Amino acid sequence: MTHINSNLQWWRGLADVLGHGLQHGATKLKRVHLSVADETFRALDAIPVVRPVNRTVRACHHGISKLSYSSVSCAGRLVVELAGVSPSQTADGSVDEEMMNKS
Amino acid sequence: MVFSVSAGKIQQHISAIASGFLGDWLEARGNGLAVPMTLFAGGKVLNAGHPELAEPGSTLCLSLHGLMELESVWDFPGRDEEHYGSQLAQTLGDTTALKLRFNSGRPIYRNGQDLADLIERLVMNWPVPVKRLIFLGHSMGGLLIRSACYYGSAKGHSWAGKSLDCVYIGSPHDGSWLAIGAHKAASQLNKVPRDYVKVVGEVIDLRSEGIRNLSRGEVFEPGTEEQPLLSGARHFAVSGAIMRAERHLVNAWFGDALVHRSSAHGARRKGWELTAKASFPGVDHVRLAHHPMVSKQIQEWLV
Repeated sequence: MTHINSNLQWWRGLADVLGHGLQHGATKLKRVHLSVADETFRALDAIPVVRPVNRTVRACHHGISKLSYSSVSCAGRLVVELAGVSPSQTADGSVDEEMMNKS
Repeated sequence: MVFSVSAGKIQQHISAIASGFLGDWLEARGNGLAVPMTLFAGGKVLNAGHPELAEPGSTLCLSLHGLMELESVWDFPGRDEEHYGSQLAQTLGDTTALKLRFNSGRPIYRNGQDLADLIERLVMNWPVPVKRLIFLGHSMGGLLIRSACYYGSAKGHSWAGKSLDCVYIGSPHDGSWLAIGAHKAASQLNKVPRDYVKVVGEVIDLRSEGIRNLSRGEVFEPGTEEQPLLSGARHFAVSGAIMRAERHLVNAWFGDALVHRSSAHGARRKGWELTAKASFPGVDHVRLAHHPMVSKQIQEWLV
């Protein structure tokens, strides 16, 4: 029974890590994607003739991208919630906030 | 049956790697991947409060693995449960070989404090009086020995006053070039005013406290002054190198792949008096933990 419990704890732990990876990975990838794209949009913005179209395309691109990455991030959050790993408490009963914020 | 055994080993290795990368965070979250500090004797878990062994010796030989490793790193390839400790036990007689598994992502000083307490509990409950302790530490394990010795001595533990031999095998006392590189890369990347570069720096910054400690070989609680090696104990250092030719450029750049020879010998540590040190060109970082030449050297020093 103990072995089954520890095995279950292990799989829940793995799901927790993967869920966090998905959640924060999507957020970071979104930043990379948008900032790389912004390099091009910024260059195009310097050309007056394409500026209006460029801004519209940028708004669409960023909107769709944010929606896509946020969906993936939400899926990661859901996995974390389903894994149900609860933060361990310190001796005085408080949660180590500094460590928790590391993610 | 075969599948379940190998699946268990894979799980253990995943836990060890995850703990090395994110061990402090895993522990704070109460995540089941965090490796608890555990003693092993003959491949079985040993309860420090109630050690049950067929023939307990008066000499204990404890082997400590490194970052992201398991106690199995000590086993000679193809020879299960044969390692430096078991070979020493056979030669010395009246000796029990033990291995430690720990969460290598935690700060080294916290592991050191816990290890000091664990050894004290073990020695107090050992079935026969303990006369001698031998510590073998590979990589981070060597730093953990130094930390445990300091905290054991500071807390007045009985084991710290016994006959002690500490062998540091490929331990980055002055830091590892890879950990130093990660630290520098992260701080430089975080300064660049481009989000796609900063993200790389932030990902590198996710590394555990244990890895951060390796950049400078930190083994004490922050704010604690540099402490000398435990007096009254004998201290031995072993280093490796990738190439056989000792002065090869690759060795000068990468040492044993992770640790330079000077760092393994604690060249920058002030007031260090090593009993002996040895180098093994051609033996890389991981192979230092299970190499016949290193075994022979340890036997010469300790038997």
